Amino acid sequence: MIRLLLSLLFGGVTALLLAFLQSTTPSYAILTGPIETAGLQKDTVSSRTFSVKVAKVLRTKTIAFAPYGKSIERQTEGVWLIVSVELQSNYDTMTIQAAAIEGASGRLYRQSHRADGAPRLMPSKDLQPGLPTTGIFIFELPEGETSDMTLVLSRQPSPQLDSEIRVKLDGASVETRDRVEIGANGV
Amino acid sequence: MASRRERRFWWASLASLPVLLAANYAIDAWRNAEDYVGRNELRVSGSVDGQTYAKASWTLNQARLIGDGRDGKITFPGQMRLVVVRLAAKAEDDVGQSWTQCSLTLTDPKGRRWQPLNFILSNDLSRDLDPKATPIDGCDAISRQPPAKGASTIMEEKFVVPADAVPSLSAQLSFASTRPDAISFPLRLN
Repeated sequence: MIRLLLSLLFGGVTALLLAFLQSTTPSYAILTGPIETAGLQKDTVSSRTFSVKVAKVLRTKTIAFAPYGKSIERQTEGVWLIVSVELQSNYDTMTIQAAAIEGASGRLYRQSHRADGAPRLMPSKDLQPGLPTTGIFIFELPEGETSDMTLVLSRQPSPQLDSEIRVKLDGASVETRDRVEIGANGV
Repeated sequence: MASRRERRFWWASLASLPVLLAANYAIDAWRNAEDYVGRNELRVSGSVDGQTYAKASWTLNQARLIGDGRDGKITFPGQMRLVVVRLAAKAEDDVGQSWTQCSLTLTDPKGRRWQPLNFILSNDLSRDLDPKATPIDGCDAISRQPPAKGASTIMEEKFVVPADAVPSLSAQLSFASTRPDAISFPLRLN
């Protein structure tokens, strides 16, 4: 009888210990997740691999651009958000392929493919160490999300043990226009 | 009731578990380390005349600095400069697959590394710089068609770099077959 009780006690303690270890061990996704650096729009935010300075944020209902000489106009039921940035790589030639806006609800809005072909898009540019590069990111999101926005940038989507920069956008500095024409010289 | 033999096997299996787990971790770690070493240039040595590297002897054929108005009278805005690097190689042996995954980059003492421009942009620039000349293939294209034993070839890559890095730049060459070893050619551009 005592032996049975001791076995049950031992089993119970072991189960509790294992449950404690499991609940306090960070998941693999957290252990190998992005290395985050956060900052404000007014500052240059620097991570180990690259830095970003947000120059201008525009909100509009209509964007226009002319890929290959043919004019294109795109409207939205939400809003277009055009973020003009200056990026710099610290050590290696790299591209910033992943950019998203985290809206007021916490949802992530990646760059819109409806604006593919627009000039000066940042993902098409190589960042060379020591040379600041300017360009734009274009997002399409519901109007309600624009009350609180964070720009999230990284080399690739869902980076693992790589830099991710989060820039809190200043709502008061967002410029609203009816229509934005995106040309070779920017917006 | 399990037999004595079964019980012995059971204990032997249990005892071997830590050993097998440790062996699994060690094999995984070894593979990861091998992969890391195969992708990174960890030992860089200066190129010496006559030294064979990846079954060929290598020399820096030409290094041009464009953008400050001295070569070609072209000026680029701000700090931007174009560096054109040409390497000559003479195959000392049958090259075969030795030049696959060719990497030719520029580095500086601050640890910065510049990758070459893509071949479309590189060819466009070649035509802009000299409309009559045929563009010279880059490292990747040459590595797919290496010269026969005793023959020579030239490869060219173009880089966009900041002006402040120019005086201390070195070209660094490596292949999958030679990494983690790489050879370096100081450009001495001033």
